[in-house]
Amino acid sequence: MDRLIALVLLRLKLEVRALSRARERAIGLLLMAPGFLMFAAAGSFVVFFGVRGLMRAAPATLLPALSAAATGLGLFWVLSPLLTGVAFSEAHDVSRLLHFPIPPATLAVSSLLSNVAQPMTVAALPILLSLALALAGVGPRLPAAFAAALLGLLSVLAAAQVAGLLIHGLARRRRFRDLALFLGLGFGFVLSLGPVLLLSAGPSAMRALARAVLDTPLFALSPFAWGVRAAVHAARGEWLPFAANAGAAGLAVACAVAAATTLIHRIYRGEVDLGEAGVGPGATARMWLPGALGALVEKDLRMTWRDPALKATMLMGLVGPLLFLVFLSQARAHGTPSTGFLMLSALVGISAFGANAFSLERRGVALLLAFPVERWRILVGKNVGAMVLRLPSLLVLMAAGAFLVPVVLLPAAATIAVVTLLLAAAVDNFPSVLFPTTAPGPGRNPYTGAAAGSRGLAGALLGLVLMAVALLMSSPFVFLAWLPLLMERPWLWVVSLPLALAGAAAVYAMLVSGAGRVLQRREPEVLERILGEE
Amino acid sequence: MLWPMNSALPAPGDAIVVHDLTKLFRDKAAVDHVSFRVARGRFFGFLGPNGAGKSTTIKMLTGLLRPTAGAASIEGLDLRTRLLDIKRVIGVLPEELPLYERLSGEEYLHFAGRMYGLAREETRGRTTELLEFLSLADERSKLIVDYSHGMKKKIALAAALIHNPRVLFLDEPLNGIDPVSGRVVTDLLRRLAQKGVTLFFTSHVLDVVERLCDEVAVIDRGRIVAQGTLDEIRAQREVGRDATLEDVFLKLVAADVTREDLSWIG
Repeated sequence: MDRLIALVLLRLKLEVRALSRARERAIGLLLMAPGFLMFAAAGSFVVFFGVRGLMRAAPATLLPALSAAATGLGLFWVLSPLLTGVAFSEAHDVSRLLHFPIPPATLAVSSLLSNVAQPMTVAALPILLSLALALAGVGPRLPAAFAAALLGLLSVLAAAQVAGLLIHGLARRRRFRDLALFLGLGFGFVLSLGPVLLLSAGPSAMRALARAVLDTPLFALSPFAWGVRAAVHAARGEWLPFAANAGAAGLAVACAVAAATTLIHRIYRGEVDLGEAGVGPGATARMWLPGALGALVEKDLRMTWRDPALKATMLMGLVGPLLFLVFLSQARAHGTPSTGFLMLSALVGISAFGANAFSLERRGVALLLAFPVERWRILVGKNVGAMVLRLPSLLVLMAAGAFLVPVVLLPAAATIAVVTLLLAAAVDNFPSVLFPTTAPGPGRNPYTGAAAGSRGLAGALLGLVLMAVALLMSSPFVFLAWLPLLMERPWLWVVSLPLALAGAAAVYAMLVSGAGRVLQRREPEVLERILGEE
Repeated sequence: MLWPMNSALPAPGDAIVVHDLTKLFRDKAAVDHVSFRVARGRFFGFLGPNGAGKSTTIKMLTGLLRPTAGAASIEGLDLRTRLLDIKRVIGVLPEELPLYERLSGEEYLHFAGRMYGLAREETRGRTTELLEFLSLADERSKLIVDYSHGMKKKIALAAALIHNPRVLFLDEPLNGIDPVSGRVVTDLLRRLAQKGVTLFFTSHVLDVVERLCDEVAVIDRGRIVAQGTLDEIRAQREVGRDATLEDVFLKLVAADVTREDLSWIG
């Protein structure tokens, strides 16, 4: 018991210390605190009145509806590290404790108990209380209903711990980690599209889905639902089903702890064969593109394709234009959406803003800037890389445009996209150089973003201003490409499109040369900031 | 005026000249008015306990950190005004290895060669030779993320050598390298010094420093506490001729290594 208490206290102490030592994390938590409060308040409100409404309107559906909701939320919580990239409750890194003579079961239980102090768990408590209140009212059955709901949460936390250990264990092999990250991000993205697709399918589809969910007996078998089902039975005074469901939920928690104990044994002590470390491409390496500029672009493209998070982000970027095209095709019923299509081209172009010239580099920026290459050339290389990564979006746009708008519009649309791409990338070099973002330290999660802080906020504000500047600078050239359409003189494109491209290229050259000079002047400061050595 | 004192001007035979170099982090001096010279073709050991300012000095000399005060030149090029030219003539093996882990070892060397302006065929030839030399040929297609620490160190060293640098900065180059590769690397470094390459070398393995370096400087709490050949330092500190570098080092940094036994052991 002493060791269990010591382990729980250790975890809490480490978390408090992490906040007190890292100003950014503390500020981040302060910024998140109102969000958690609002989440708890809104969740409690929705659950209380939702459950009360359901009890009045359709009492027979209460049990299946709550079972389905508890299962869905439980699964989302457990898979949160894969779906959202953030674990709602973190599995304690027990690998550092393995050399102490502590039984694995103690490690598993201590890690589970430590999760009670996690922000998401704390935020869930008022929601569970409001559920119990909605079900049992203020009366003698309230404590039993609340305890059962808490048991449901505990089973979610225990399952999340097992999932966390599994992911942690698999992550020891780079290939598994990459695959899990790519599939998780993709799956999360597909899930996030679900509501949009459902809404577009109309109310009848939603009704059919709701009916199917309520009719299936499957959710009654879900361990995530047993706690909530016990709470419903407790509120109704049905003590035998309450005991059965609460017992099953307790058993599920015990099984999850046992599974976590086994996993600690087998994964961390190397008793599970996870296979050989993956090998990379077998063919002889080539850098096909010429010169330092070509090598820079090619390096970025290869790294993006091989980095699961970057690849997933790039592929997800294709969906944005596709969704807009769906709306455009619907607008086609009311006429040819030529103006909308050209605006969409500008939108694809401006998406290059915010790419951040050094984001791909992370700590490798020290390496990049160690090479004796002119700084403007490095910026051009990074810009070209960012623009090439947006080419698939542009190609999707052009291919779909061939069916939606007159073909004569396509060169104008491509020109608008290229012009805005060029100038967005050029202007974006300035926040990259003036407000560089600290890269995660060695051994830290490389996918964590910028730390919150005053400089981050100033950088974000500057980013907004500069994005407006990029749009403003693009506007004369976009207008040139648009003019023939406005004047209904398509032959004018022969002159206006080359003019727009040449003008944008000239402005790009001026901007990138200026940013290159700033980078050269501020290079040590940029490095100090990115590497966190201030 | 670029150089504050005439004595700080680089002489024709100087590869590295450092004068009054200072780096403050907030108000704390990580490097405190450090001055030294390294002649061309010398194997120069830069020693000090953890946190003494070794890596900070290397970072300043390679342009990764801006000095708070002072001046330095590499191969006669002023650090403040000729940084890009300096980067053409130096190779750097940093202690932390910021490699592009999603490139294979071979791709990384191709990339480095191109960034140093080498021709395609030249890069390819040197890459093959370096991979063979450092026993990485069988792992050439593996992504660097899958390399062991020692392999990462070797590929970073290969990248630092690919353009035939005139000055090589090596921050703990033997850390994490197996004894066989360590021997290959030290032999290579010795040959480089013989061919006129200047080596600026930090290591905690003092017997290796003693074997390799012509000259050492010891930094402690940001200040140089001794500089010269081992014999010169022995004479300065009045230690016997048979004193090892470790003995001298411990005396210089005033480290008290005598401890009583732990009360509960035995």
